[in-house]
Parts: sequence; C-alpha cells; structure tokens
Amino acid sequence: MSVNQSMASLSGDFLIAALMIYSASVIAFAGDFAFGRPRRAAAKAGTGLTGTALIDTGEERELATVGAGADAASADGVTVDGSATPADKARSQAAELADAARAKVVASPPAPPASGWQAIGQAGAWVRAGVVLSALGATAHLVAVVTRGLAVHRAPWGNMYEFVTALTCVATLFFLYVLIRYRAWALGVFVMGAVVLALGLAETVIYTAAGPLVPALQSYWLSIHVTAMTLATGVFFVAAVLGALYLIAERYRARGAGRGNGLIARIPSADQLDKLTYRTVIFGFPVWTFGVIAGAIWADQAWGRYWGWDPVETWAFITWVLYACYLHARATAGWRGRRAHYIQLIGFVSLVTNMLVVQVFITGMHSYAGVS
Amino acid sequence: MTDIRAPQDAAEDESQLAFPEDGRNAVQASAAAATATADDGDGAGAGPAAGWGWFRWAWRQLTSMRTALVLLFLLALGSVPGSILPQQGQDPAAVQNYFNSHPALAPWLNHLGLFNTFAAPWFAAIYLLLFASLVGCVVPRTFRLAGQARMPPPRAPRNLGRLPHSESYAVALPPVQAVAAAAAILRGKRFRLRHPAADEAGGWVSAEKGYLREAGNLLFHLALLGVLVSVAIGGLFGYKADKLIVEGQTFSDTLTALDEFHPGRLVTGSDLAPFQLTLKQFSASYYTSGESRGQPSSFDARVSYSSSPGAPSRPYDIRINQPLNVDSVKVYLIGHGYAPEFTVTDAAGKVVYDEAPPFIPANTGTFLSDGVVKVPDAAPDQLGFIGVFVPTGVTAGGILDSAFPAPYNPAVSLLGYAGDLGLNSGLAQSVFQLDTSAMTKITSRPFLLQPGQSFTLPGGRGKITFTGYKQWASLAVTYDPGQVPALICGMLAIAGLLLSFLVRRRRVFVRAVPAAADGERSVVTVGGLARTDASGGFEDEFTELVAQLSSGEATPRSIIRAPRGAPDGKATTSGAQQPASHDSKTDPGA
Repeated sequence: MSVNQSMASLSGDFLIAALMIYSASVIAFAGDFAFGRPRRAAAKAGTGLTGTALIDTGEERELATVGAGADAASADGVTVDGSATPADKARSQAAELADAARAKVVASPPAPPASGWQAIGQAGAWVRAGVVLSALGATAHLVAVVTRGLAVHRAPWGNMYEFVTALTCVATLFFLYVLIRYRAWALGVFVMGAVVLALGLAETVIYTAAGPLVPALQSYWLSIHVTAMTLATGVFFVAAVLGALYLIAERYRARGAGRGNGLIARIPSADQLDKLTYRTVIFGFPVWTFGVIAGAIWADQAWGRYWGWDPVETWAFITWVLYACYLHARATAGWRGRRAHYIQLIGFVSLVTNMLVVQVFITGMHSYAGVS
Repeated sequence: MTDIRAPQDAAEDESQLAFPEDGRNAVQASAAAATATADDGDGAGAGPAAGWGWFRWAWRQLTSMRTALVLLFLLALGSVPGSILPQQGQDPAAVQNYFNSHPALAPWLNHLGLFNTFAAPWFAAIYLLLFASLVGCVVPRTFRLAGQARMPPPRAPRNLGRLPHSESYAVALPPVQAVAAAAAILRGKRFRLRHPAADEAGGWVSAEKGYLREAGNLLFHLALLGVLVSVAIGGLFGYKADKLIVEGQTFSDTLTALDEFHPGRLVTGSDLAPFQLTLKQFSASYYTSGESRGQPSSFDARVSYSSSPGAPSRPYDIRINQPLNVDSVKVYLIGHGYAPEFTVTDAAGKVVYDEAPPFIPANTGTFLSDGVVKVPDAAPDQLGFIGVFVPTGVTAGGILDSAFPAPYNPAVSLLGYAGDLGLNSGLAQSVFQLDTSAMTKITSRPFLLQPGQSFTLPGGRGKITFTGYKQWASLAVTYDPGQVPALICGMLAIAGLLLSFLVRRRRVFVRAVPAAADGERSVVTVGGLARTDASGGFEDEFTELVAQLSSGEATPRSIIRAPRGAPDGKATTSGAQQPASHDSKTDPGA
C-alpha cells in the first residue's frame, strides 16, 4: 500500500508542534526553578535535607515507609523472642495493657492525600504551565505518532527515526504519570529537557521520510516486539534521568552540605529518587524481557532461529543483564545506593549504544535503521 | 529477581532468616578460619576435613550474591566482543576478511575464541558458574519457602505501634470476640492466620499473605535454568541446513541433497525428516517509485512438498515471516537470485549444455550477479564461461550495470574459456568459480547477450545461446526441539518476574485489649508490615484494611469521636457476633 502523503506531512507538522510545546514546557519548569515561589511545605519542613516540598506530606509518608524493613524487623524479632518462654506470658499480658494505654486511638481516619491534580494546582503558576504544556505537547506528539502510522499503514516504528519518535512519546506519557502520581514536577526540566534533545536529534540527524517496509518487517510481530522495546526504552529513559538525579542528590547528602543549592533543595531526596528509580526499572524490566522474547519468536519466524547472537540481539542481552545486575546490586550489601545507580546508568548507556551505534554502524540482521 | 538473596529478608524471624549479607559473610569467615587452622596443624590428618572445608568455602563463595553479581557483569562484558568482531557462526566470510586484513592480530583473537565468542570455553565457564551459583541459591530457598508455607506466621509483636503501619480503633465487643471478628475478615481475604496457643496469652491474631512473591522469584530463576536447558537440547538434537534451489528443481531432505548441513552434537544424517520439496516459482516484487524505489516489497516462493516419500504433495507459499512447517522441521526463505539459462552446442552441432546455473548477487540492491557456466561435455575442448547477469541492464561508458533488481531488461555478459575444467582432478570444486589454470581465453572481450540471442564461439567451437532466466531461492531447513520448551520457560520467567514485582509479602497483626473495666468494650490495634513492597501501595491497602476491620465489626469509628445511642451500638454488636462464632467453630485455636 502506498504512503498517504498528506497524512505523513500532518504527522510531521504535529511533531514539530510537539517539539516546540515541549521546549516551552522545559522553559516553564526551569522558570519554576528560577522564580517559583518558595513552597509552603518546604517552609514547614524546615530542617528537611532535601526538597520534601516537592512531595506532599501524604506522599512522603508513603515513600518513606516502603523501605522501613529494618525497623519492622527489630519489632518483629523482639516480639517473637519475647513471647517464647512461658515466664514472659504474664509480662506480655501486662505489656498488652500498657499497649492499650499507650495506643493512640486514631480519632479520625488519616487525611486522604490530596490528589496529584490538586497538588499541581497548588504548586504555582510555573509548574501549572509546565504540566499543561507537557500534556499539550504529549497530545500533539501522540497525534504525530498515530498519523504517521495511518500514513504508512503499519505500526509507526519501522525505522530509527520513527522508533525515537515513539519512545520519546512513551517517555513523556510515563513521566506525566510519574509527575502526577509522585508530584515529581521538579524532575520536569530534566526529563522534558532530555525528551526535547532526543526529539530534536531525531528531527535533524536521523529524519527518514514516511515509507513502506522491507518484507522482513512486514509482520504483526513488528507491533508486538518493537512496541515492547519502545515502551521499555521510554521507561528506562525516565529511570536514567532519575538515576542521574539520584547521584547528584546522593553526592550532596554524602558531603553533608545541608539543604544545598537551589537545585538540590528542589529535587526529591536521594531516598525518594532511589525508590522512584527502582519502581521505574521494575516496570521497565519485565517489559524489556517480554520484548526480547517476542523478538526471539519473531526471529524464529523470519530468520529461522530464535536466538543467533546477532549484534543487536547481543546488545539487548547485555542491556538485560546489566539491568538484572542493578536489581541484584540493589539487594546486595555494599552495592546499594550509588554503585547500583551507576550500574543502572551503564545499562542505559548499553541500551543507547545498541540503538544508535550497533543498529546503525554494525552490520547484522537488524539493519533496519534507515539512517543514511 | 530483585532480591532472590535479598537482605530485606533480614526482616524475617530467626527460623526464616534467608542469608542476610553480613551473617553469611561471618559464617564464611569462620569456615575459612577453621580450615586455615586445620591446615596449620597436622596436614596429613586434616586432609579430608580440610578438603571438605575448602569445598564448603568455595561453594559459599560461589553462591554468594556478590559472586553472582560479578558473574553477571562478566557475562555482559564477555558478550561485547561477540558483537564487535565477526563471528564464525554468523558470517564466516567476514572472519576470513578479518584474518586477511589483520594478519598479526587475528590469530591471537582466534586463540582467545573471540571469533566464536558464544561457544568459547571461557564464555561457557561464565554462564555455567552463574547457573551453578543460581542453583546453589534457588534450591535452598525453594525448600525454605516450602517450609514457610507449612509454618504459621510469627506471633504478634507486643507493641504494634512500633510497626511501620499501625492504627487503633475502639469496638463495643470483648477483646476475644473483637480479635475473632478481625480474624474472620482476614481469613476472608485469604490471609494465613496464627492464633495464640492454648498456653499463650490471647487477644491477638497474626496474618500473613503474599507467599507468591517469593514463589514468583524462584519461578523466574528456575525458568532461566529451563531456558538454558532448552538451548542445550536444541544444540544437541537440532540441525540446520541450507539448500539453493532453482525454479523447477526438486530436493529431498537428505544429506547428499543439502548444500550445507550443521547437525547438533547427537544428530546424524539418518535423523533428517524425509520430506521432498519442489520450487514451482519464485517471485519478488519491488517498489517502483518514491524514496523506496528498488526496495523489495514482497518475496514469494511457491513450492509443493510431500512430508514423506509417497505422501500426497501439497502446495505452500514460503515467504519471509512465513516459513513452511513440515512435522516441526521448518523451511525458511533466506535468499534469492537469478539463474540465467543457456544452451551450448559444440563444434559437432550437438547440444551439450542446457541448464540454468545460479548466479550470486554481487550487489543486493540492483542484483547485478556473478556466475559461471561449465560445459564439460563439449568437444574437442571443455568450455567454460565467466558471466555477469543484470536484471535491468544499462550501459554507461561501456560498463554494463544493473539499474533495478526486477528483470525489466535482462542481459548477460560472458567471457569464454576453452581447455580443461579440472573436474576430474578429484578435488571438490565450487560451482560458482571457474578454475582457468588449464584453460585459455577464447574471447578477447566479454560479449553481451539478451534473451534469445546467441554468440558463435571463435575457432568453430560452437555457439552459446542465452535462452532466458529462472530465479532461485535459498532455503534454510532447521529443526530445533528446544524451541517450544524455551518459549514456555520464557513465558514462565515473565510470569515469575511479574509475581515477584507485583505481589508484596505482608503481615498484619491484630491485638485487642479491654477498654474499660467491664470488659465489654475493647481497643483494637492493627499493625502492618510489608517486607518487600517494590511496587508500593501497602499503605493504601493497610488503610483500607483497617477501615474494613473496624467497619466490618459494624462499629462505626465515630463511636469514639461521638458516642452514639445504645440501640445503635447493640444492633451492630449482635451482627458482629455472627462471624466471630462462626470463626471459632471452623478454626479452634489453630
């Protein structure tokens, strides 16, 4: 089927629009850094090391309690040991009563955390503008991706340009979710900045006109395999930005530099960033795994083997192993924290290497980039 | 995945402790120390013991998380050369080129196995150690999980207020009944419960849920092991073969008919599936306009096949992404090209050649193809031709080239030789190359032919006619019995991952104490603890649970804030005793 040229040019226009709106949103997020009014919660928190302001109280509690395993462990252990002997029985009875006396009876249910929307509404004009612009840009971006698909009558990720376009769209949408769910607008300038950069490069360096696919790509597995890879790449993209911010925040904390400069005061604390990165990666990792398996099924259909150590397959495997390393390192004493995040970033570097170096410069079965 | 050897499990009580990092290191250190002293002492006597000690030490080292981490790193690092250097398995010609262009370096790289990285012994060592480490970790954990599944949750801590999550509410029930009502609700939510033993102080219940998290974690790792085993099965019992076949030709899946055969370690020629396949027609179509001009749009190899000798023949269209499956042996279309047809009549006027030799594309964009014609039956001398075929011939500056991959203007350019083809020397000869060492050139310049045209050979040696062209397809025949198991294991791995990431292991404890001297009302404290809450959300679950526990007792919390009239309270109380009595019937102090 031939390319629908008017649809293709519509897609191009929407993408340019998205790029411009995104740029405006970066300016708005940056404006919040520069001119945003001091946050109420920050003033209240007072001694907080980092920008707890960015995460409302309700959320902060949620984030803080996730990692409270150590406290819980001691509470748990003490009790089991304590009630092991009969002699302790009476004591525990007494303790119960004491408990009851001490137990603070909650007079009212805990205040439900204000919704993310409300929090955004209260966060100032710059943040509101940034969020609205990001959402607007994401809409234009989505329209661009969809119209590109309509123009070429297939899933719109058949070459590198289309792939980058689609994955940045995923990254933006995922980030908007993170932004609302975790009130993480302080990250807007970084994530949206990276999106603008990637999209700008896609427009200028690797632009490929809408065109049909070679027979090897004419398969419904294109939609499955590449969609999963696009999704996972978009999510890992956000994780990489979060990881880099973690390293900045952690460095500050290690120096004991107090509230730090404007940047540090505004991004979430190292602990929060650590958890957010982890959750982002554990969302991306199964998707990546699925993408690799879908790719193997497709490779079996198209090339006669499900795994052949083609350069791109090899790098997808390396990326998978490195993210697995991160997940394991996070659970290993001495590797938690900074080292684990370095591994995560190395994983992202290998992912980008695969995308921009291996697929373009190393000849293999996956040479579909269409970059000349 | 994340924490198969997770320190989060330090949150376990002693009996369920799963390798906290520091604890394990301490054990290792003491084991090493013990071994060292044994060695320092009577060396001969301590021999066996020391050997065992070292083995245990080595095993502990291997199964430690740190080693696993290092091995994972090495696995990633070791894969890199396999993607940068040409690999024997994928592209032997590229390896040969590399040898030619780097004569000093290449042999060294070859010694290191870097041209066959993924089959190199050191690479195998990495992944086998990794999987040994994995087994050493997963198997004990599986037993531990099985043990935990039989054991009830731990007793409720005394001070629930110290847990990460805790809340209290008041009810108009005696403590025992308040706890029983809460237990009934928790059981309804499929929590595993523990009640106080007969000789213990009562007034509490422990509940635990989310064992599937660890099960998913183990499933993921075992599934990876399954993938490795599946790959090994494929390597042992599978095979891969190639066959180039010209339109009209038939081949049987036998050792002699195949061009190349790469059997698995335990495969012999007699294991081949006995099918037969004829290439009826091959067609390729190309985009003729726009930026994609010349790019292929589809390939179609129309074949007929019979799955065994004597079986009825069936038609099939083999395309890219659409292999033919004959009794789980798959036939793929992996390449195509042109086979110009020639007839040659020799000096005596006898037709000594009528074939369509396949020409190999030298330019896959335009399908300018190279090939040779060997005429061994020609007399007085054998004849040979080196040729170039162009599907869409154009001549620019006297040089023949192809402008498009489709056969719009086919032409062939030939250079003739006469002499001895060398076919009787006993050495195997490529059908794509002409050995001209014992031949003399009989045409000074290449001559151009279009379909139907002939060229009369000088010296009365006869003539050659370019009668037309056929197309050929190269097919890959593969059999991999590990494929389906690998797919199943892959799916299980994803299921395991999702379970281990999404399910959280959590405990909820409920304690009730009398609120007043009459013992008719009590204060219930609920404590919650999520040991691994990767995806978050236990906070919300806990809040909801407490709301249900307190309202499930049908005692509105507002009772505490603003006590209501007695009738209200009584009505709800009687309702609440229903689940309580039911509970004590079905579960007497379990």
